[in-house]
Amino acid sequence: MRFLIQIAFIIVTAWIAEMFLPWWSIAIAAALVGFLYKTKANFLAGFIAIAMLWLIKALLIDMNAAVPLADKVAKILLVNSKPLLLVITAALGGLVGGFGALTGSVLRAK
Amino acid sequence: MKIVKFLISLLITVLLIWALNKSWVVGGSRIPPLGKFLDPFHGFWQNIESKNHTLPVKLEIPGLKEPVTIVFDSIMIPHVFAQNDEDLYLAQGYVTALHRLWQMEFQTHAAAGRISELIGAGKDDAVLNYDRGQRRLGMVFAAENAFKRMEGDPLANMVANKYADGINAYIQSLSYKDLPLEYKLMDYAPEEWTPLKSALLLRSMAQTLNMGDKDMQMTNALALFGKEMVDLLYPDLEPMGDPIVDRTNRWGFEPLKIEDTPPALPAELIAISGLTTPDPTIGSNNWAVSGSKTKTGAPILCNDPHLNITLPSIWYAIQLHSPSANVMGVSLPGAPGVIIGFNDSIAWGVTNAQRDLVDWYKIKFENNQKEKYELDGVWKETKKVVEKITVRDREIYYDTVVYTHWGPVPYDENYRAENNRKHYAFRWIAHDESEELMTFYKLNRAKNHGDYMKALDHYSSPAQNFVFASVTGDIAMRIQGKFPVRRKGEGKFMLDGSKSASGPQAYIPFDQNVMDKNPERGFVSSANQYPADATYPYYINAVSYEAYRNRRINNILRASSAVTVTDMMKLQNDNYSIKAEEVLPFLLDHLDATGFNDVEKLGYEALKAWDYVYHADSESAPYFEAWWTNLFPLIWDEMRSDEVSLSYPTAWNTINLMKTKPDLEFYDIKSTPEKETLTGLIRASFSTGVNEVQQWKKDKGVSDKAKWADFKDTYIEHLTRTEALGFHVQHGGHANAVNAASRKHGPSWRMIVSVEKDGPKAFATYPGGQSGNPGSVHYSSMLNYWSTGKYFNLLFLQKPEDAGNKVNFTTTLNPK
Repeated sequence: MRFLIQIAFIIVTAWIAEMFLPWWSIAIAAALVGFLYKTKANFLAGFIAIAMLWLIKALLIDMNAAVPLADKVAKILLVNSKPLLLVITAALGGLVGGFGALTGSVLRAK
Repeated sequence: MKIVKFLISLLITVLLIWALNKSWVVGGSRIPPLGKFLDPFHGFWQNIESKNHTLPVKLEIPGLKEPVTIVFDSIMIPHVFAQNDEDLYLAQGYVTALHRLWQMEFQTHAAAGRISELIGAGKDDAVLNYDRGQRRLGMVFAAENAFKRMEGDPLANMVANKYADGINAYIQSLSYKDLPLEYKLMDYAPEEWTPLKSALLLRSMAQTLNMGDKDMQMTNALALFGKEMVDLLYPDLEPMGDPIVDRTNRWGFEPLKIEDTPPALPAELIAISGLTTPDPTIGSNNWAVSGSKTKTGAPILCNDPHLNITLPSIWYAIQLHSPSANVMGVSLPGAPGVIIGFNDSIAWGVTNAQRDLVDWYKIKFENNQKEKYELDGVWKETKKVVEKITVRDREIYYDTVVYTHWGPVPYDENYRAENNRKHYAFRWIAHDESEELMTFYKLNRAKNHGDYMKALDHYSSPAQNFVFASVTGDIAMRIQGKFPVRRKGEGKFMLDGSKSASGPQAYIPFDQNVMDKNPERGFVSSANQYPADATYPYYINAVSYEAYRNRRINNILRASSAVTVTDMMKLQNDNYSIKAEEVLPFLLDHLDATGFNDVEKLGYEALKAWDYVYHADSESAPYFEAWWTNLFPLIWDEMRSDEVSLSYPTAWNTINLMKTKPDLEFYDIKSTPEKETLTGLIRASFSTGVNEVQQWKKDKGVSDKAKWADFKDTYIEHLTRTEALGFHVQHGGHANAVNAASRKHGPSWRMIVSVEKDGPKAFATYPGGQSGNPGSVHYSSMLNYWSTGKYFNLLFLQKPEDAGNKVNFTTTLNPK
């Protein structure tokens, strides 16, 4: 339960941070939650939270897309598939979020 | 222990962010900073427009005096309503940047030789060498001269500065999230716009249209083949049809007289290989039909400029309305005003004027310091300009360019050094001061023929054929540009740069330029052909003249009466080739048809059945194309050399020579011991051509017939040549047909205006769309109409409210 709450906290904090700050603010948001609300699986929580946030945001944009730009970008990046591009997007965000959360959590005594 | 764990974890996080926030070059190609780029809140995902994308209802723009209303119509053309001219041009700058910022900046960077700054030196320094070439041709020098004049004129200065203010207001409103996709892909940011950039953009257009020359190639031809052969292969005039203006013995003016001893012929071989002559598929059509020949009684004006068909589109359509103007048409992103268009009273359009506006002068330097060069027996000082070229991921590159009074010396021991110790100065008419912005400012507001003439008096470069029609029933054509008065033969070959008398002695007075008004035949037209009949009192030459489109247009217009807009749409999309009509029967007559294999028989039958129309599903056209493109270089194998540059004779003259000179020595292929004949070449190229079509079918997996549209494969390419951002379209046409759509060139804007008393009726399309964003529907929303020969009915408004249900959305720009 605490794990799920931590994920939710990271999603909300990162979402707010992204409104005002560049993309790397997701790491700060995750670190902040990791520090203030630590669990036993901070990296995983950070990873899942940011991966979900980025995936859902990307999917929402893509659902309303007037032209298939994501497919074109997938070709430009030689990924060649939109689903794979979405996975990569989520994974990269997740990785940064995971390490962010981990960094914040290890600073905390308990 | 805890602190160590923390530091390690922090280090990994920071390194990860650093690595994902940085663009890397992997295997020679640049990948965007992945974290930054893939972040759906700021990265490329933000460039994906939704289906109902609009702008805010209100925007606050610094620098405006009063509110400006912009109505965007269903194809995203902005209709700008301003309450004064300052606001009008500011709003034009703003809205153009909104749709085309990356393109306008990239094009001016390309013109100024600054591409290395964005993408690095390239493979084998190709990009750096391109940049050096641009600098060495004096592109920035030319723009600065144009800018000087612009700055000196209060009106032009206001227009260019307000336009720049509008672009900068847009740039300042941007954060990374809002940047056009290309900035994110290449990982850089826009810089401030300046009026000098508008000058650069117009000079870049001049480079595309007016920088063509073959003086070095002709000088080499003279040395290798002799004067008589040069005259036969490259005649000044090809007598094939109508000039643009025919006023035989009715020119009615006294031409300027200059000392008319022709320049001495040079006798040297210039060891620079691979010089190219201008792409003959760049050209254009325009014509105006007098009311006496139209169904409504109102003149109809048509224009389709042929350029590289790239994305974001070359043109940006716009309507500009202020108390002093109400004009609509297309603009060049980066330049204020409307370049081709119409207003309540007139319509105008342009095609390129074919004229030699480039000269090369042989320079003798005092020594290899190049501090001084010889002129009229004395040593004159040169000027050295150090070009500083910023190269991405590398140290700055400094290139010294030597200028003489003629112009820069592009080739020396540091650039294209193969020519070793010989030097030539490059003189281009567009290096001179010019004020074309004023021409467009005045044309946009012209009420009648007199205003049109006054507007053109400001225009010097790039030389264009300006077609005109007015509500009052006038039609006109004027070939406007700054043209030197040339002695016979001057400008064809290298000139002697040690004598100031080799330079232009005078320029043709503007009122003696080639022009015509309301000719008896009831129409005016131009398609890059020879400008005037033989009695025009000045010597004219050019790299080449168009030989086929112009005759087709004139044949159709001559035979037409009660012309309608629909007829004109048909003519702009006409795919008939007079070249094919003139050469194919000859080729078939001289083709030895015995011993054909099955594939050859198939090709032969298709060719015999051809109607010379390059329509999209023609199966004959691919065979003809493959045959001709193999025959032509086979005849002129002598023109390909690794040591020197030579130029091919024109297609028209080649066909002429094939028919009249059956024993020309050029039919023999130099590299073989046998003596080839024309018939042999025709037979050999036929087989090669047919096999090429066969091979193409095999490669593409086409089991049935090769269709022309597939074989030609018209490709609308993104400026960065990124395959995923381009489009392959099914479209007929050919460079020699009125619908001059070849693979990557063609009609970049098709416009037809019926200039009627109760308001102009205008129809148009172009191969692309208003938005430069590949994530917008309007990136390519006109493409389908273009490729199927359909037109949009342009919305020309008197006030914003008139848009009715044609409005997509409206935005008000308020002063901040």
